[in-house]
Amino acid sequence: MVRGVFLSLVFLLSSLSATVYEENCVSCHKRLPVSIDKYFYKYLLIYSSETDTKNAIINYLKVPVKETTVMSDSFISRFGVKQRTTLSEKQLQEAVDEYWQRYKVFGKLK
Amino acid sequence: MSASKSLDTDFLSSEKRTLFRFSILYILLTVIIISVFSFIYYELQKDLMLQEKKSTLQEYSKKFLYDLKQLHINFDKTQVYPRYENFDSAIFDNEKKLIFATSDTKIKLDKILYLHDEVIHLVNIPESYYLGAKYVIIKMKDDGLWLKQTRREILIFSSITFIFMLIVGYSLLRMFLKPMRDAIQLLDRFIKDTTHELNTPVSTIVTNIEMIDKEMLDAKLLRKINRIDIGAKTISNIYQDLTYLTLGNKIISNDEDVDIEHLVIERIEYFKSLASAKKVLLQMELVQNTSLFIDKGKISKLLDNLISNAIKYNKINGSIHIIVEDKKITVADTGIGIAKEDISQMLERYTRFNKSSGGFGIGLNIVASIAKEYNLHIEIESEEKVGTKVSVSW
Repeated sequence: MVRGVFLSLVFLLSSLSATVYEENCVSCHKRLPVSIDKYFYKYLLIYSSETDTKNAIINYLKVPVKETTVMSDSFISRFGVKQRTTLSEKQLQEAVDEYWQRYKVFGKLK
Repeated sequence: MSASKSLDTDFLSSEKRTLFRFSILYILLTVIIISVFSFIYYELQKDLMLQEKKSTLQEYSKKFLYDLKQLHINFDKTQVYPRYENFDSAIFDNEKKLIFATSDTKIKLDKILYLHDEVIHLVNIPESYYLGAKYVIIKMKDDGLWLKQTRREILIFSSITFIFMLIVGYSLLRMFLKPMRDAIQLLDRFIKDTTHELNTPVSTIVTNIEMIDKEMLDAKLLRKINRIDIGAKTISNIYQDLTYLTLGNKIISNDEDVDIEHLVIERIEYFKSLASAKKVLLQMELVQNTSLFIDKGKISKLLDNLISNAIKYNKINGSIHIIVEDKKITVADTGIGIAKEDISQMLERYTRFNKSSGGFGIGLNIVASIAKEYNLHIEIESEEKVGTKVSVSW
């Protein structure tokens, strides 16, 4: 009984400390066969800079349509277009900032 | 040797100044033209070299983009940036922010192919921005062979052109100067011929006037004879000036110690009649007697010219003071004077500032010529409508 309460508390605390990105992006993407970093490099291939890449992601999350996706047609045919985001502007910005920080190229090349 | 021939190279200082200015301007223009052509040639050679290297750089760029693409695909496994022996590279995002570079040369992204700090740069914009790289720069060291060759060619071309332009310039100068030389020669030849014809009649008049016993003459005739005397002396002065001008350089000097006080008294006596005709007071002021080792004829000519000018350009009832000091003679008049800006040209031949008085404008040129021969220093002070002071010191 005590052990059960302790585990529930640990789970609750860890879910409380999770970031917007982890909670709203990673949690869904990990169910897909394509890892989340691959989407990032797709965006980079088209939008190049930090500002343009972040804006493109945010715009797509707000209005996800076939025409603006960076993924291939076969991918869209198989998995479809995602649902419109329910996150606020601030949360979106926070999530995309973290996404950029995790996968950006700057400072990683050797 | 004829007098006109001796004047062939005898340019006046204003002519020398004009020639000097023309030469400077001509050389400057030649240098500017050569520099412009050299610069254009250098730029053309540089472009040619860049175009030759472009295909090599494009090959390198292709190879690099392939490796960059592979890195982009496998970025989760490796982050090692591709490096090569033959060239360096750099990548920038579309905000021109450096992503990575293998060397730190300053890069201009607004040009496609250029040379900077002996490094050839090719700026490439790929279709896909691998790792976010919108600008891919390939950098290759320039071997500098074309530059050495171009410099050598420019040096040879510039030297040949410069020498050619100098020859052309010299020919043009001779062509432009010919009318001026001809005019000077004509004037000198005219003076020489006129002088020769004046010699005998002037000598006859002066000698005969000196032979007349003036005490035997009545007052009216004496006045007439005095006027003839003044006229003859004026002609005699002009004759002597012209003789000096045409034969001056050939006259052999008999230098001796000349007593200046004695000479001044003698010359005042000579010019007395001329001065009195214009009611000009001619007097000497002796501060300290002095002597000068010089040809007596030449120092007399120098003094005569200063005194005759002082009389000629004086006012009626004016005065002339000849001051004799230690190693210095000064002739000061109360004449019309001369503007300050004209003083520097006073000693030039055929220069006259007062066209109403007669003369050829050669008197002060003769003074300058004698002064130059004996290293005498001439100082001229003048004020319009006040007078002129000419000092000769040694």
